[in-house]
Amino acid sequence: MSGKTVLYVEDNEYNLKMVRQLLARTSYKLIEATDGEAGVATAIRELPDLILMDIQLPKLSGLDATRRLRVDPNTAAIPIIVITSFALSGDDQKAKDAGASAYLAKPYSPRELMQMIRKFVPEN
Amino acid sequence: MVSAPTPAGWEQRAAHFLLTRSPLGNLVRWVAGLKASVHAKLLAGFFIVTLLFIGMGVLSLQTIAKMASQGQLLDEAHERVHWSQEIQHALALQMNFTAMALLLRDEATVESILRENNRFNNTLARIEKVAQPEQVQLIQRIRAVQGEALTTVADIANLLRDGKVEDAMRLQLNKEYPLYLQIEGLVNQLVQREREQMDGLRSSVAAANRKTLILMACSAAALILLALLLGFVISWSFILPVQEAHGFLSQVAKGNFATMIKVPNRDEFGALADHMNHMSKELNRLYESQRRAAQELQGLNEQLQRASKAKSDFLANMSHELRTPMNAILGFVEMVLDDIYGEVPPHLKEPLTDIQTNGKHLLRLINDVLDLSKIEAGRMELFLADYSVQDVMETVRASLQSLALEKGLGFVAAAEEDIPLAYGDGKRITQCLMNLVGNALKFTKRGRVAVWVELQGNELLYHVSDTGIGIPKEELENIFGEFQQVDTAMTREFAGTGLGLNITKKFVEMHGGRIWVESELGKGSTFFFSIPLRVNHGGAT
Repeated sequence: MSGKTVLYVEDNEYNLKMVRQLLARTSYKLIEATDGEAGVATAIRELPDLILMDIQLPKLSGLDATRRLRVDPNTAAIPIIVITSFALSGDDQKAKDAGASAYLAKPYSPRELMQMIRKFVPEN
Repeated sequence: MVSAPTPAGWEQRAAHFLLTRSPLGNLVRWVAGLKASVHAKLLAGFFIVTLLFIGMGVLSLQTIAKMASQGQLLDEAHERVHWSQEIQHALALQMNFTAMALLLRDEATVESILRENNRFNNTLARIEKVAQPEQVQLIQRIRAVQGEALTTVADIANLLRDGKVEDAMRLQLNKEYPLYLQIEGLVNQLVQREREQMDGLRSSVAAANRKTLILMACSAAALILLALLLGFVISWSFILPVQEAHGFLSQVAKGNFATMIKVPNRDEFGALADHMNHMSKELNRLYESQRRAAQELQGLNEQLQRASKAKSDFLANMSHELRTPMNAILGFVEMVLDDIYGEVPPHLKEPLTDIQTNGKHLLRLINDVLDLSKIEAGRMELFLADYSVQDVMETVRASLQSLALEKGLGFVAAAEEDIPLAYGDGKRITQCLMNLVGNALKFTKRGRVAVWVELQGNELLYHVSDTGIGIPKEELENIFGEFQQVDTAMTREFAGTGLGLNITKKFVEMHGGRIWVESELGKGSTFFFSIPLRVNHGGAT
């Protein structure tokens, strides 16, 4: 069976590991990138079904990466959940302005994340 | 040298021209440079002018005296003419009486001849006394011929007495008559000379008077000019430094403290200029030191701003750096408890839950400390937008209902109906309510917690009431301070950061609102805060 692909762009290896293990028991296939540039490149190359984008990334910020993907016609329609660690007023608005489909404040609960993923791309 | 203000009126322009284009300028500067007081200079000026006018007066008096003496000379000449004419007259009468004596041959007529002869001689003597030297000779000749004529008359008289009329007549005709003619010629000559002399004198007096008048007019004009010049020089030697001072003070008033005033005066004005220069130097020194201080302050301010920015950046980074591992810790614990890694052995459930509880507490602490730091650094900004008060209450209800249920407390969170869309930072208002409700739930063991919001005029009034332990009166004032909790024992029991109320107060104030509390120990507390329904754009940072 071919599971939906989820791209997680995140520079912290423990958070990556967490999501990796969270999705291990599901049919979702996780691909990873550890900076904004690589995230954009991987998204354009792999065309995942959903992108989890951390807001603070090396090389290119999550918001800028989101904006670039929204400009590219191939990736413009992919849902992007922006994950921020600021949890400050206005961050959700900034994420929405950049073209995010949803916004999740860090620290997030794995349960919540799973719910959100399922909402955007139902697991077969 | 400070440039004098531009001359305005025509007299000012004229004075300016004289001072810059003529040697008068040098003279003015020389007078200014004299080492004497203004008083002495003025006194000297008035004294000189007075002397000049006294001199003028003396000259006038002399002229008047000279004119008077010339008048006298003229009078004398006139008198001489008069006398010489009288001589002429006496001579005519003498001749007449002689002729008469020949006809009448009486003594009385002869005596008349003698009388007229005496008159002639007396007048002649008078003229001789006052005569000019060139006339004296003529007068002596007249006298000589007159003497001869008189002798002849005496002879004629004797002949008449003797009855020798023929001889007398002959004598009269041949001798006396020619003698008289001769005298007449001489007297006429005398009259003519005196008249000429008088005329000469008259015209010379007229010329002298004309000359004197011209001289008087010229010297009066010269004196007036000299007085004016003196006045000009003295007054400008005072006006120039005053103008300089005026220009200098205008410069100082404009804030140009580096200007120096330079005047040639060595009087009071010079002293004044020295003082002004001293003042300018002092002002400049003060200004410079003030400017340096301001510069230092500005530098310090910039440093502070950089430091503040660095602090803010540091806080933003720390926020991320701290929350990222917290995310992993809490995430992994939750996953373990959710049996993602297989069923959790029952004896591990409690310690894992403890880890989760404390992890969440640590996260709140971190959030509060970071929020407060941002507020203190002045970097906290409200994100103003329209928000629904009902949504805010719903979020609070949804987040905390389970906690209330766990503790067996009644919990109500509701909003008055028909409250329109509010304008402000909905997330921060939610955070404030979460803090207050969280505290209420924390400090209440039995009873209920209620949250209510209503619209009063243009203000939203929030109430958060509980039936908890209450707050002692003496603590009510301090409760919104930083790191304040009612007592340390309670802190242990109801673990909290002690920052929540302070942060809440700050956010309420940033919205232009206020917060207060009413409480009764053992019965419960009610926290109130009111904020404008629609926050002003400018007043909310």
